Amino acid sequence: MKGEVSGSEKSALSLFFEPQSVAVIGSLREGYFGGYVVVKTLLNAGFGGKIYPVNPSYQEVLGLKVYPSINEIPEKIDLVLIMINRRSVPDVMRECAGKGIKSVIVVADGFAERDEEGAKLQNEILEIAREAGIRILGPNTAGVVNSANGLIPDPYEPGYKKVKPGAVAICAQTGMINPQAFPYADLHYGVSKICDYGNKCDVDECDLLEYLESDPATKVITMYLESIQDGQRFLKISKRVTAQKPVLILKSGRTKEGAKVSASHTGALAVDDQIFSAACKQAGIIRLEKFRELFELPKIFSLQPLPKGNRLGIVTFTGGVGVLAIDEGSKYGLSVARLSPEIAKKLDAIFPGLGKTVVDIGPPMAVNNYMTIYSEIIKTVLSDDHIDCLFNVIWTSPFKEFVEEYLKFYGELRGSHQKTIATWIYGPSIPLINDMSGRMEDLGFPVFSDLETAIKALGIAYQYSNRKKGEE
Amino acid sequence: MMGKFSIFDQVKKEGRSILTEFESKKILKQAGISVVETKLAKTQKEAVSLSQKMGFPVALKITSPDVIHKSDSGGVKLSINSVAEVKKAYDEILKKVRKQYPDAIIHGVSVQKMALPGTEVIVGTSKDPQFGPVIMFGLGGIFVELLKDVSFRVIPVEQRDAQEMIKEIKGYPLLQGYRGKEPANISALVEIILKISKLIEENPQIKELELNPIFAYKNKAVAVDARIILE
Repeated sequence: MKGEVSGSEKSALSLFFEPQSVAVIGSLREGYFGGYVVVKTLLNAGFGGKIYPVNPSYQEVLGLKVYPSINEIPEKIDLVLIMINRRSVPDVMRECAGKGIKSVIVVADGFAERDEEGAKLQNEILEIAREAGIRILGPNTAGVVNSANGLIPDPYEPGYKKVKPGAVAICAQTGMINPQAFPYADLHYGVSKICDYGNKCDVDECDLLEYLESDPATKVITMYLESIQDGQRFLKISKRVTAQKPVLILKSGRTKEGAKVSASHTGALAVDDQIFSAACKQAGIIRLEKFRELFELPKIFSLQPLPKGNRLGIVTFTGGVGVLAIDEGSKYGLSVARLSPEIAKKLDAIFPGLGKTVVDIGPPMAVNNYMTIYSEIIKTVLSDDHIDCLFNVIWTSPFKEFVEEYLKFYGELRGSHQKTIATWIYGPSIPLINDMSGRMEDLGFPVFSDLETAIKALGIAYQYSNRKKGEE
Repeated sequence: MMGKFSIFDQVKKEGRSILTEFESKKILKQAGISVVETKLAKTQKEAVSLSQKMGFPVALKITSPDVIHKSDSGGVKLSINSVAEVKKAYDEILKKVRKQYPDAIIHGVSVQKMALPGTEVIVGTSKDPQFGPVIMFGLGGIFVELLKDVSFRVIPVEQRDAQEMIKEIKGYPLLQGYRGKEPANISALVEIILKISKLIEENPQIKELELNPIFAYKNKAVAVDARIILE
């Protein structure tokens, strides 16, 4: 029954992410897609559990024994991935039922998303699953990732082996979030879990929210939604989850159902998207506007502490950026912090005229022992009680040595303060910016792609923290 | 709490789904929402004595389950100031409605005390295919009709939700007392929203409900017109 998650159901869901053994049913032909790639990506990521490739035409693949069918596998299987022609999926599902399998990822496509026959097949496999107590993820999905145990059964070649463990869980009704579609490795982007839940014929957004709520590795959940299965259940669960960890949602699909003709104003005005927005406000969900934000904004929650208030400090190399930051901040209720008199005095002593609302470190840059001064300035600003969060702008310079010095400083700074810091790195060299950004995030300092996103990250962190305070 | 309202059973028995204004207001009153004093007159004589008891000015409105758009059919007369006007209005209303709806069942004519003008707001509910019952708040008149300046929440709502939905509309400054206008009593509006949310939660047979308008004053808020539609 939907809506009532029993103990066994919960554990069935955890099998999608924490299986001891995985059976891979599909083509084992070497290539860019299919069972072969799944086995390869699992091996590359160092998956700790057992891997059972299943295919009647092979004896061995990538050094692993291949079984002609799952019935031939002598041991218990926690998770099955199915990547075969849609018409053969029901038969394989019946085999899974016979073998007592509880969790199946149907990677295969051509179901409800394609045509009537596909919709029928989807219903058929769902019926088999319900009867046998199997949970289905998909169909039409690129599947899951668990960074902690090397579970990367990617049906497409990502070209890199591992995903850095982190605290962001990313879910979507699309494979645009799986390793083959996003440069997690290049960006040093840390995730706990990734889940494409495809057509969500069974496992849906509510199930995932519930699982991730109790997942200790996940500090923040970010989700792309196309529709909601059960609005009341979604509201209830997400309200509970947001009280513990932030939930960020990007939603598409303003459906036709909304503007139905009605005898009253209320019915006619209740357009779906507006209702979804209202539900988000009630549940404390942070609503995203752009696909890019799905990845960027959660970093403020996964890497930084929540701000205690709305006072925004700004460190910049140019006055213009400071003014833009103040404008952006006001959109989210951030107000520019007035430095405390003693801190302003200290800064002025470091460099004349530095102790202003916007700390402009452009002028002191000309000084010889710049990095020493830079360290002092940042430490002094961070010690100010009048600041809750900091928009930290860094200019890389064209020199690698410079970047290394910055990184050395931030390595030392790590963990020495309680402020929320959002960093924006700019400069004349893309490779240097990218290199520094990734390594800053390794150190726990999230770097955002532009000024607006950095400020928005601080803004939503403040709003989340403020709401949470109201509930305590 | 379900089945608390015998009117619902009566309406169902008659094969109707739309409650008259008079019936809707009875329900709302029982739910603890203040509504403009409204009595049903079955004769002209009754209309006269009710108006005298209430005190002028009064409004007369047709009460018939078959007449949904009361003003369009000439079934509403406002700002009536004397016994003679009551008599005339009563006859005219019946004549016009009977002409337009010869087969209409007519319960009578409701006599209502004319409310002092206040800031007009609207509270309504409907059912969303994904989220179930939802509640809407907005400023009345052109604000809702033309500008669609309304806010929504999914039922049930909490105090915070009700407060937020009032503050969320663009016209909120009007409720705070704009250009010397009397400010509206926000907590009275919050209370109405919460009571309506509870009413809908406890009576899932209500498909749509609308209080339009509610007159908001400095010290209270009163529903002037109301409509309830059952599933």
